[in-house]
Amino acid sequence: MAENKVQAFVPEAGTCVPWKVKKEELGQLAGNEEIVKQEWDKLDAFAYAFIWFWVQR
Amino acid sequence: MGGKEQLFQERFKRYSVAMECGKPDKVPVVFPLGEWVIKYSDITLQEAYYDVDKATAVIDGVLKDLDFDVMFGSINLWWPPMFDAVGCRQYKFPGIYFEADAGFQYVEEEFMKAEDYDDFIANPTQWLVENYLPRVNEEFSEPGSYRATVALIKGAAGFAMHNGKTAQVAQKWSQEFGIVPYGTGMTKAPFDTLGDSLRGTRGILLDLRRRPDKVAAACEAIVPHNIAFGMITSAGDTSLPCFAPLHKGAYPFLSLEQWDKFYWPTWKKVIEGLWALGKRVFFFAEGDWTPYLERIAQLPDKSIVFCIDLTDAQKAKKVLGGRFCLYGGVPTTLLTYGTPQEVKDCVKRAIDELAGDGGFVLAAGGVVMGDAKRENIEAMLEAARQYGAY
Repeated sequence: MAENKVQAFVPEAGTCVPWKVKKEELGQLAGNEEIVKQEWDKLDAFAYAFIWFWVQR
Repeated sequence: MGGKEQLFQERFKRYSVAMECGKPDKVPVVFPLGEWVIKYSDITLQEAYYDVDKATAVIDGVLKDLDFDVMFGSINLWWPPMFDAVGCRQYKFPGIYFEADAGFQYVEEEFMKAEDYDDFIANPTQWLVENYLPRVNEEFSEPGSYRATVALIKGAAGFAMHNGKTAQVAQKWSQEFGIVPYGTGMTKAPFDTLGDSLRGTRGILLDLRRRPDKVAAACEAIVPHNIAFGMITSAGDTSLPCFAPLHKGAYPFLSLEQWDKFYWPTWKKVIEGLWALGKRVFFFAEGDWTPYLERIAQLPDKSIVFCIDLTDAQKAKKVLGGRFCLYGGVPTTLLTYGTPQEVKDCVKRAIDELAGDGGFVLAAGGVVMGDAKRENIEAMLEAARQYGAY
């Protein structure tokens, strides 16, 4: 996977590493993609809130 | 349904009707939670900041005999253990830096330099991670090191722990006392995000003269982030408004021309963006916003709750009344320096002048200070019930 890592992207507001970037790196998933995506998005939003918290005092 | 659940629903309806500019059964009244509560307890401010459970127990004792609808404010807005874990340079708390009964302090610096504008504008979130966080937090200063990695784990864990605890406490107060929180989530005006935390007051004032185009472009870049941050921190809730503490938009910090050019356009976009998603903004207009009322009236009907601090209340009623819920009526200084009778007279006057046709919430005009008097807070709540029936 390391060789496929997307190095340069601008995450849209509300995301840090959008699922579409991660999906591009992972390629075809063996199981249910939607389950993986949903939980990825939740943790990504948490990380986004933590990062932006520091400038929203 | 009965008991506290029914009480919660009655109060929630009262507040909701007012936010929709309607006339509820009574004028909703807001309890201003703040550090003044600790003054009447046997714990120190340090204990209150660090130990959410101790602070909650103190607040429980204050709340149990009071009749109000909505609670605003917090003692544990900033949870020091998280800031200690990352070595934060921005905030100083009692315990490490001050004596146990001192309040916290914010230390403003130019954590974003003038030469950082282009990189920030190009990719704000990545710039924050790679540049801002290591500058603001001492433990992150060598990214990838043992200390930085451990601090990042602890910081994120602390953030989650405190958010979870805050949500638990709000739920407990709803269930045990029928209290409605004033809002959910937080956002800011892009100019304040830039001027408060990134460039600092000195930096942004110089930038308005030296690099105005960069200021405007940075504010534009922040707009979608402040919409997203408001929704994420609201956890999707659209029934209560999103808190927006507004600092550098108060008159006369900026000239009218600067306000029109740098402050209002992007702040208006954030409000309209949130409203398009169904989220109302708690327009916490600290200071005087009188000269801007006509501009604020350009917003979509009911998209904000306008908080009156030093703004001319009668003019706010004339310009915004009927289209936007008004909130306030009692100056915070009166709660510190006034007498209970003066507070009651003020409440009666505010209700007479502002509440007549609904769309009004009786509250302190800003954040109530640590030296407010308990008897004045109680007088405010009592008078609101005495004079606030429609």
